[in-house]
Order: sequence, then C-alpha cells, then structure tokens
Amino acid sequence: MIEVQNLTKRYSGRTAVDAISFEVGKGEIVGFLGPNGAGKSTTMRMLTCFLSATEGSAKVAGFDIYDDSIEVRRHLGYMPENVPLYLDMRVTEYLRFRARLKGLRNREAKRSVEEVMETCSLSEVSHKMISTLSKGYRQRVGLADALINKPDLLILDEPTNGLDPNQIRQSRELIRRLGEEHTILLSTHILSEVEMTCGRVVIIDQGKIRASDTPQELIRRLRRPGELLLEVEGDEEKILSALGKIPAVHSVEKVSHSEGWIACTLRVDPQADVRVEVSETIIRNGGKIRELASRAASLEDAFVDLVQHSGPDPRYEMDAPKSKSKKKPKSEAVSSEGAD
Amino acid sequence: MQSFLILLQKELRSFFLSPLAWVTMALFTFLNGWLLVGIINAMRLRVTPRSLVYNLFESGWFWMGFFILFPLITMRLFAEERKMGTIEGLLTAPVRTSEVVLSKYAATVVVYLLIITPVFLFFPVFQWVTGEQAAFQPGALVGSAFGLFLVGLFHIAIGTLASSITTNQLIAAMITFVFVMLHYFLGFLGKFGLTADSMWSDSLSYFSTVEHMHSLSEGLIDSRPVVYYVTFSAVLLTLTHHVLESRKWRA
Repeated sequence: MIEVQNLTKRYSGRTAVDAISFEVGKGEIVGFLGPNGAGKSTTMRMLTCFLSATEGSAKVAGFDIYDDSIEVRRHLGYMPENVPLYLDMRVTEYLRFRARLKGLRNREAKRSVEEVMETCSLSEVSHKMISTLSKGYRQRVGLADALINKPDLLILDEPTNGLDPNQIRQSRELIRRLGEEHTILLSTHILSEVEMTCGRVVIIDQGKIRASDTPQELIRRLRRPGELLLEVEGDEEKILSALGKIPAVHSVEKVSHSEGWIACTLRVDPQADVRVEVSETIIRNGGKIRELASRAASLEDAFVDLVQHSGPDPRYEMDAPKSKSKKKPKSEAVSSEGAD
Repeated sequence: MQSFLILLQKELRSFFLSPLAWVTMALFTFLNGWLLVGIINAMRLRVTPRSLVYNLFESGWFWMGFFILFPLITMRLFAEERKMGTIEGLLTAPVRTSEVVLSKYAATVVVYLLIITPVFLFFPVFQWVTGEQAAFQPGALVGSAFGLFLVGLFHIAIGTLASSITTNQLIAAMITFVFVMLHYFLGFLGKFGLTADSMWSDSLSYFSTVEHMHSLSEGLIDSRPVVYYVTFSAVLLTLTHHVLESRKWRA
C-alpha cells in the first residue's frame, strides 16, 4: 500500500528525514513512533503530497507521489496533526463539503456522511458548529473526514494527541475497528498506544529509521536485561552472595530494608527464566521469600534504548529494503510542479 | 471544474455567514450615498459640463472608500487557512492548486460585485425620485461599471497574492492597501514636477486608474485598460499559485 524508498527531506542546514525506506502492506496497522521532531509529520506530509521530498521516491496505493499526486490523494484519507477544521461550519455541512470535494456525487456524499457519522459516533452533534465542539469530538470529525471517501489507506498524524484518557481509549478502540477494513499508518509518541493497536512499529529518530518490527519482537530483542524484584528474610550477606553466583544473574542490588525483610532487585538475562532457581537458592541458604516478581521489559524500554543510543543498532535488524539503488534526485522546480 | 464549483460555493458561503461582508457592504453603500448627496449639492451651486457619474468617480473621496474595500475582502482568503492549518486538509484533498486559487478569487469577485452594485442603483433611484433627466447617460453608467469591474479584478488579485504570503490577516490587509494606493498614485506621478519629461508622463498615464475611468465614465470603452487589468490580474494569480506550491520545496 505504501512503498517508500530513500525518502529524504532537507531544510536549509537540517535533514528532517534522512533517506528512509519502509513498506506498509495491505491491511496492516503500522505505528510510526518517535520523539517530537523526529520527522514523523514531515514523512506523512510527503506521503500525502503536501510537501515534496528532496530525494527518493514513494508510492501510495501504486501511484507515484510526484507523477500521480491527484490519484494518490484520491486513495488516501489524511488526518493532519491537531486536526484543523473550518470552525464556522456545522458538522454535517463540513463533512458534506469534504465528501463533494473528494469527488463524491451529491447523493453518494449524503449517504457517506451518514455512514461515517455513525462510525465515528457523531450523530448527536451533527448540527453543532465545529467551533463549539470539544477536542474529542473535533478529533472524531477529523477522522470522519479522512474516512469519507472510503480510502484504501488512512494516514493519521497523532490521532490521540491532546485527548483525555477516556477519549484516548475510545479513539484507540475506533482505530482498531477501522483497521479491520483499512490499511492504517499512524504516528504517535505514546508507546502504550502503539503496543495496543499496531501490528508493526517503525521507530524513527532524527530522521532515520531505528527499527521496524512487531512490538513483541522489539521487546524480545531488547538489550536491557530483565529484572526480578524480591523480598527475602534471613542472612543477608549469605543469600545475596549466593544469588550473585547464579550464572544468568548479572547483578544484585539491595533496595531497602524494613522489619527484617530485604527488598532487592536482580538484573538477569532476558532470555533466561531464573525464578525457580532463585527461590531454591534462597531456601537452601535458610531464607524466606515474601515476594518474587519479574518485571517484563516494555516497548517503552525498547524505545528509550533505541532513541538514546543514536545510530542503528545491529541487533534491531530492519526489514525495510536497504538497497541503495536509484536515488532519484529531483530538482526542486520539478517536484514543486509534479504535485499539481 | 467540479471542484472549482464546490470550492466557490464554500467560499461564498463563508463570506456571507460572517458579518464582514454585510458590514462592508452597508458601510460602503452608506459612504457613497453620502458622497453622492454632497456632489449633487455641489453641482446645484456651480454649473459643470461633466455628468453626475463622472463627478462621482472623479472624486478622491470615492477612491478612498474604494481602496479600503479590497484589504477587507481579500485578507482572510489564504492567511486564515494557513493560520488555522486548514490549508493542509484542503491541499491534500484531490484538488488542483489552481482550482483553489481561482475559486477563492472568483468568490471574492462575486462579493465585490455585490458590494458595488448599490452604488450603481443610486443613479436610477435619483432619477426616479427627482424626475431629473440630464444627470447622466446610460452609456456612462455602463462604462464606469465596467471600469470598476476591471479595476476590481486587478485589486482583488493583489489582495489574493498578499493573503497567500503571510499567516497574519492584518499584514495581508496592509500589503494590499499599500500596493493598491501605490498603483493609484502612479497615475498622478506624471502630473507632478518630478517627471516633467513628456514621455514619462505619457507612459505613466497608461497606468492611471483615474485616466481609465475618465474615458470609461464618458461611455468610451477602450480595449487597452481591458488588456492591462486582465493581464496583470492573471500574472498576480499565477504568482499566488507559485507561492502556494513553494511550501513543498522551501527550506
């Protein structure tokens, strides 16, 4: 659905997007994850033909973003960051206008407006002015607009930005439902969102792709060791040194001490499950266990890990094509005309 | 064409659902009504060979009100869309940039024509009320209406371009006002001592809106101003198109 090859956007003295390549297959929900200013919006704007790339090429729904800009735009639904809307219009009026603008005939437009209002639960505000709507409703109007011409692909730039937790849950639910029929590329810097909705994550930082994989796989390949939290009672020195001798345990750290119970953290090999071994060791050394819990690494850990170690990590292999073939430099004048 | 009509409809709608168009229309009509009464009184006191129509459009007061009109009706065209970010939704819809520019321009021209129409109704109303026949000729009325239409095309194109280069409506309005005024005074430059040389003053008079209006308000339709205003409007709209497209590659 989306094929991106060496897409680059340079502003004077700064490379916002640096030769990125990735693909999004039909039916996928792909999360574009990165800190603010990583190049997520710029990439999306290039895919929606709002900006031209300095170098590289991309195809959306089989159409080139330079040569068939109108066709590309016909096949995608885009919700820009912060959901800009005409505040002086009513909801139905706005959606009708957008439907007609996207080429739907009068009657089709009417039917389609009703459908998307149903999908996005907008019926109760259909006659309200957009200026009076809350952020949550405006976001749903933006989503309804993106859906209105039944596009193959939805590109959503920070769809849950600025919503309250309840609204975030609702819109996440909606996006997941939409994912059953549409291909979705969404950007966010909220990690839990990606973990819950996306089948695949593309992590981008400083204009470069750091990793691209399923959330589970990213966590599994995490460089950071797993952690075991435990509270024990007994001969402190003896138990802790015995624990340190277990091969898969990297380090033992005492956290606190209260009423004879010692709380400590073990850093362990993420691939090994040492819980049984740990408990046996403690009992063998005459101790008692009150708590033994393993803290699983999260996508957040993977993200922090990747973004802090700038530069691609060989352990996170990219599945995007690495081909350096045909860097297609386009002069600026050509690209500015190409989209019209 | 389809998109053009949809966009035109949307633009007209947002003009007339905001108080701006109505307030501008009311004030402009009031101002010119007042001016017309003044001119009629002046003509009663002193005999003049010129018609009422000629005298109205000769008056500096008319042009003052006229120039303020254009910044008001053009300032929001693109500046507002850019400020609100709605331009992103608009230009990522399957429409051509040229359709967007032309629809906004055409909508403003329609609004402009509606705003100046009452001024031309003054004359028949005056005739109807007073039974006075000699105040003007129909040819003068049609000619000056056509002249104002041409000047309007050009000034709205200036405003459209100004609105596309900034996100601040006030700045767009000021740019429009300054350039509209500059163009108007260009025609007077030839009359001042600075350019006593006759070739200069002759060439400058071709730019003069007042000069064009003189011949048109006598009912003489000259093709030169037609070519002049239409060409310049087209150039300015082309520039607007390029300004909008420049977002794509500008660093």
